[in-house]
Amino acid sequence: MAAENSTKATSAEAGSSSLGKKKPLYEASTQYKNWRYSPERLEDVRTQLNAAAVAVIRNTFEADEPGSSSGVAFLDAGEEQLLVKLYISKIPQLCGHFRFPEEVEATAISYLKRFYLKNTVMDWHPKNVMLTALFLATKTTNNPISLEAYTSNIPKTSPSDVLDLEFLVAQSLGFEFAVWHAHRALWGIWLDLQSLPDLSADLRPQDVYEIALKHVRASRFTDAELIYTPSQIALACLSIASPLICQRWADSKSAVSPSSQPLSEVLEDTLGAIKFMVMQAGQPPDVESVREVDRRLKLCKNPEKVVGSKAYLARIAEDEHRAEQKRNKKANDVRRALAEGDPFGSELTDKEKAERLAELDEDDD
Amino acid sequence: MDAVERANTERQKRWVKDQKVGEGTYAVVYRGREFATGRKVAIKKIKVGQFKDGLDMSAIREVKYLRELHHQNVIELLDVFSSKTNLNLVLEFLDSDLEKIIKDRTLVFLPADIKAWMAMTFRGLEFCHRNFVLHRDLKPNNLLIASDGQLKIADFGLARDFTDPGHKMTCQVITRWYRPPELLFGSRYYSTAVDIWSVGCIFAELMLRTPYLPGETDMDQLKTIFRALGTPTEEDWPGHTKLPDYVPVGQFPRTPLRDLFTAATTDTLNLLSKCLIYEPRKRIGAKEALHHAYFFALPYPSHPSKLPKLSNNTSSRPLDEVDGNVDMNASGPGVKASAPNRLKRKLSSPGDELGGRPLARRLDFTQKRS
Repeated sequence: MAAENSTKATSAEAGSSSLGKKKPLYEASTQYKNWRYSPERLEDVRTQLNAAAVAVIRNTFEADEPGSSSGVAFLDAGEEQLLVKLYISKIPQLCGHFRFPEEVEATAISYLKRFYLKNTVMDWHPKNVMLTALFLATKTTNNPISLEAYTSNIPKTSPSDVLDLEFLVAQSLGFEFAVWHAHRALWGIWLDLQSLPDLSADLRPQDVYEIALKHVRASRFTDAELIYTPSQIALACLSIASPLICQRWADSKSAVSPSSQPLSEVLEDTLGAIKFMVMQAGQPPDVESVREVDRRLKLCKNPEKVVGSKAYLARIAEDEHRAEQKRNKKANDVRRALAEGDPFGSELTDKEKAERLAELDEDDD
Repeated sequence: MDAVERANTERQKRWVKDQKVGEGTYAVVYRGREFATGRKVAIKKIKVGQFKDGLDMSAIREVKYLRELHHQNVIELLDVFSSKTNLNLVLEFLDSDLEKIIKDRTLVFLPADIKAWMAMTFRGLEFCHRNFVLHRDLKPNNLLIASDGQLKIADFGLARDFTDPGHKMTCQVITRWYRPPELLFGSRYYSTAVDIWSVGCIFAELMLRTPYLPGETDMDQLKTIFRALGTPTEEDWPGHTKLPDYVPVGQFPRTPLRDLFTAATTDTLNLLSKCLIYEPRKRIGAKEALHHAYFFALPYPSHPSKLPKLSNNTSSRPLDEVDGNVDMNASGPGVKASAPNRLKRKLSSPGDELGGRPLARRLDFTQKRS
């Protein structure tokens, strides 16, 4: 069903949008609204994010010791991507170990990708972000496991490694936890095929589904889900496994909503692009090249995020200074209220009230 | 500061907390407003720091579904932000809920009013079900009422999505009085029909002005149901004796709904009975219910703005005082609340999969009265 909904949401829909019809479910999703990019836009987002991060970290280096950033080889956007991709490849391994359902695996991978559209690996190393994204995905897909059971089964990992980042990850996702996946869309298409009158069971052998599913899994290493809809990806993967069956399914949909152009033609370019992407980039990165990136990352990561570093301590000191100023202000306010005679203080203005409440909020957690 | 943190701070600044209006163990509710427009909102602050497993499942469910669901009859989540270790949900502000309205014995419900509430409930629920979301905790105090009279389904802390049949789910959901028999018998494979049963119970409660099936324990709940609707036979509900927690709880004859709901029309009782069919597969669906003759027959549903509303000071007025003004035995089109309900209403929902924490999910805008 998911497949059907999301396909309607894309190219096949074109004709009916003017009629003020009910919005397809997929088009109402946060995934459709906030996590879809054109390939160019995606590249832009990453390049800009990387440039901004490098500028900030460079400043931090310079503030610490002028001239110190000149010799640092910062990562570029492509290198960041390479590292993220490596940690994407760890997720299926962990999921296999924990026997998590595919939903968890796919969701965690989406979270990891989305996280690095808002953050840089130079601030947050993907290892812990990956562990947090996976833990969060177990909960958001309703497959919760205790943190204790989770971390005790992962070497060299403490509960705080996961928990410390949970808020940051959730925030980076915009608290948008629901993800529509291509493997569900593929299942939907496969169910659809079973009800086609002229496609008997021997014409759609089970291994076609298995092969298509394998390609869907490969697509998770790519940017496909940030550019295309789950059903487009699913159909492209089916088309790799069996162009004929893919064609049959598309024809059956064209028959339902006739338009000037058959669905398979409308989709041709899109499916072609996805197929190319899956075949080209649908595998884990070369470990040697990632190792090189990771080695450089040690030298260029944001010192403010390295516990114990000078910059880290400076930031902590600044935070404390601010907190102390606040405490002093509060104490002064109380003193002033007492001095002004009325021990209960005078009426607060609305603005003051809001300020008080904001303080109250920070204090009572 | 990171871009993500900065964005969060920006969001936080959009909203102002004005007054604490309710507090539970795990959440505090404030009345607030949008800084720029003055629009009233409710801000539900969930204290996350206390959970050893991080973000709490109820909070996650609520955020997950409300982020996706936008419908006139579903409460709107306007924003989410964090402050230190707290998660803040900014929700549209809703003055009251159906439970308070049912209990306000100064109010008279016309059949058209009940029809309006039912229509809005089914509309909101149909939207949830169309989006593959089970609510799993429908009851009058989770049906909130906006100042313009619109009813909104709230509290998605127990909600989940459903996909393939044969996917195991917990049966420890839905507050007992609104829980369908298949869950009481421990069924782990269920459907949208569980929410429909709850709506049936709410429908009956709107007519009776008292909970329809108030069981005292899970076992007693089954007895209460069977006493009201008759013990199901194998023919009524094939296979129910094979459910995991099936126990025979006695034979009760089926009494016609008409005996209890004396003033209801035939259409009304027909829809009610279809919500309370034992066999879940035969129970009416939300969409089908919206097309039921009940909604097309006279009287037409009241306009939301014309629906009975809480008088502002109801909560502070002693109940005895109003007794003299309301004739409990008068016959007429309206339904009035009967004498105060002696049964203690169970406010909290059953525990979730993680072992049940009594999270204050309800947006309680009055300070807790003891």
